[in-house]
Amino acid sequence: MSEPMIAIQGLTKRFSTADGRRHLAIDDVNVEVAEGEFVSILGPSGCGKSTLLYMVGGFVAPSSGAITVQGRPVTGPGPDRGPVFQEFALFPWKTVLENVMYGLRQQGVSKAEAEARARALLDMVHLKDFADFYPKELSGGMRQRVAIARTLAYQPQILLMDEPFGALDAHTRTVLQNELLGIWERDRKTVLFVTHGVDEAVFLSDRVVVMTRAPGRIKKVVEIDLPRPRVRAELLVNRRYQEYIVELEQLIEDVHLEAAGA
Amino acid sequence: MSASNIFAGERLRGTAASVLPLAVILLAWEAVCRAGLVAPTLLPAPSVVLLRWIALLPDPDFLHHVAQTMIRLLSGFAIALAAGVSIGLLASRGGGGLLEPVIRVLAPIPKIALYPAFVLIFGFDHASKIALVVADAVFPILLATFHGARSVEPKLLWSAWAAGASRRATIFTVVLPSALPSILTGCKIALLISCVTVFLAEMISSTDGLGHLLIRSARSFRIVDMFVPLVTISTIGLLLNAALVAVRNRLLVGHGNHR
Amino acid sequence: MKSALRKLGPAASTVLSLGALLVLWEILARLAQIDGFPPATEALVQVPLILGERESLASIGASLWRMFLGGALALCFAVPVGLAMGRNKRIAQALNPVLTAAYPIPKAALMPIIMLWFGVGDLSKVLVIFLGVSLPLIYHSFHGAHAVDEKLLWSAMAMGMKPVARLFKVVLPSALPDVLLGCRVGLAMALIVMISSEMIARQSGAGDLLFNALDMALYGDVYAMIVILAAIGFVLDWVFERVRRRLVHWAESRQDAMVPGGGV
Ligand SMILES: Nc1ncnc2c1ncn2[C@@H]1O[C@H](COP(=O)(O)OP(=O)(O)OP(=O)(O)O)[C@@H](O)[C@H]1O
Ligand SMILES: [Mg+2]
Repeated sequence: MSEPMIAIQGLTKRFSTADGRRHLAIDDVNVEVAEGEFVSILGPSGCGKSTLLYMVGGFVAPSSGAITVQGRPVTGPGPDRGPVFQEFALFPWKTVLENVMYGLRQQGVSKAEAEARARALLDMVHLKDFADFYPKELSGGMRQRVAIARTLAYQPQILLMDEPFGALDAHTRTVLQNELLGIWERDRKTVLFVTHGVDEAVFLSDRVVVMTRAPGRIKKVVEIDLPRPRVRAELLVNRRYQEYIVELEQLIEDVHLEAAGA
Repeated sequence: MSASNIFAGERLRGTAASVLPLAVILLAWEAVCRAGLVAPTLLPAPSVVLLRWIALLPDPDFLHHVAQTMIRLLSGFAIALAAGVSIGLLASRGGGGLLEPVIRVLAPIPKIALYPAFVLIFGFDHASKIALVVADAVFPILLATFHGARSVEPKLLWSAWAAGASRRATIFTVVLPSALPSILTGCKIALLISCVTVFLAEMISSTDGLGHLLIRSARSFRIVDMFVPLVTISTIGLLLNAALVAVRNRLLVGHGNHR
Repeated sequence: MKSALRKLGPAASTVLSLGALLVLWEILARLAQIDGFPPATEALVQVPLILGERESLASIGASLWRMFLGGALALCFAVPVGLAMGRNKRIAQALNPVLTAAYPIPKAALMPIIMLWFGVGDLSKVLVIFLGVSLPLIYHSFHGAHAVDEKLLWSAMAMGMKPVARLFKVVLPSALPDVLLGCRVGLAMALIVMISSEMIARQSGAGDLLFNALDMALYGDVYAMIVILAAIGFVLDWVFERVRRRLVHWAESRQDAMVPGGGV
């Protein structure tokens, strides 16, 4: 593989706080993500995972360092990088169908074609009967499915997912993890996936990036060498899967202890 | 028509239970008047006012005054709506640094004090009264638009940008729809203010309109005819408010429960 | 320009924009050349003359005093009523239709009727201001009390607090941001009712001074009075906003600095 899909070099982010002090959120992060790779970011709360993702998305500007996507520096948001947020961020005044059609319409796709493609996507995320519902009429899991469909609709090469299943109950979460994996295995998008769940990270990813406590640095990158397609029931009794879980849990614990000791 | 209840967040449930106290008040008022406890020249019985009002409704002269008031009220409100929303949006986006301090100076000024100036500049006709309505109604709409547009959830904007929407497109597809509940709340306030303002302007200097009717009746101490314009403006306010509530329910189907 | 203004801070940018408005007035008036629209300078020179006159100063003072009385009475009456409405469905249902019908009626328009009952003295004017301030105060207190976290009340009940104590010790503090917002709207309202009722009654006070100048075609005085009333409105609002911020600094400022209006 030649050029990385996403290249992050020496990335640093400072925020100025309300009382005028400068707060270092991310310190010298270097990561490369290959095309079609699924990479998770794991780390304690407040270590800058979301900030990192927002900078790749072009929503937040870095203080220093460089982010390139397919060799081009990131200067702002673009339809090559589709975000999925923990809060779903659906347009409440649009129906499910209109939400999914939004990106296509903005890019000048005709109404009829946008609708056809949106309906196909809704079918894929098992929501074809809810096209005319408003987001507030759906459950959390259904809303996140809509949000994923809305992002997939404009066919970004990269998915930027910030704890997308964090607000869902355990059962819905596993269902959506399976669906996401199914979608990913079908068209192999590049995914940057922020999570708090060690098992979620291992189950989904090719690599897991573990970050330190604030200011966020990279503590370790763990390759997840597990066969695909992955089936949860098989993994649960897989020795290597269990070892990855233990290793990552241990790393997270270390991060917490370091902070407490410091 | 649904009750346009200003003071209840939710729709009124027991209509009977809620109308009862009003009925009791009116009946007591009626009884006091009938019993001769107050002089009819000071306080007319509600039934007398109501009968007089019904008798006047088909009267072309009375309707002319109502129409004058309505023209001023509605055109003033429409101008305030257009100006308030566009200035509010502008201030919330780029022009905030320049517009905000100007708005901060102008907003707390009691606009009624400007009325003599409007009369001097625009004359005694429609224009000065419409100008006063605009001056009074524009700020609630402007401020509501400003705050609504400022508090757009950033992730909605990000989602739109990531989907390829231009900055200009997001103003109409994201900022305006998100600010809509707030704008409509501003409209509700502005509508009531418009009713009040137009009436006062007509009382202070006018030859027609409901406010003028009240002053004319007051000069000749016709107490019943003094109540009629008040009942009329209250009814107009309630009807317009009900219309706004209907529009609001229409426009805000997807939004969560808002006040 | 924009970033420069922002750097100056709110106080300086307010002063600057005030100056800009006055300059704009001056230029417009000089261009328009209408008798009834004198330049800012001509109006501003009259301000110290009016304020220097004992009679007009007393008149304005009396207006403000009536405004204060009406507002204070409304505060004592409307806040408990609004809070009670917010916590008790029955009370809310009972008062709702009456208040809703009263809302679009201009309170200053009751002046001719109230003058029939109570004469042209201070009582009528204070009463009208009281009515005008009460409605927005009730409205905002109602909303504040309505939104109080149930769990706070449950804990208070569990501690054995009686209903009246709960109203003042739990509901009032939690609703305070809304109540103070209502006070701010009420303040604007009081000023408006004061001016318009004096314009209608034409007996005494600031509104009367304004219209006397208009009748005598003293255009400089008319605009000077407008400037004085505008300044009163601005200063009262500014002072109140300081007080409000101090009292509710713990609540995040949901409704930011510039919020007059909100009820009539
Ligand atoms: N807009 C902002 N202004 C100031 N500080 C910010 C801003 N956004 C984030 N921060 C700070 O940057 C740090 C990282 O925040 P971030 O939201 O990226 O953490 P996170 O790892 O996503 O946490 P969590 O797991 O809780 O979502 C925090 O200390 C936060 O206070
Ligand atoms: Mg986060």
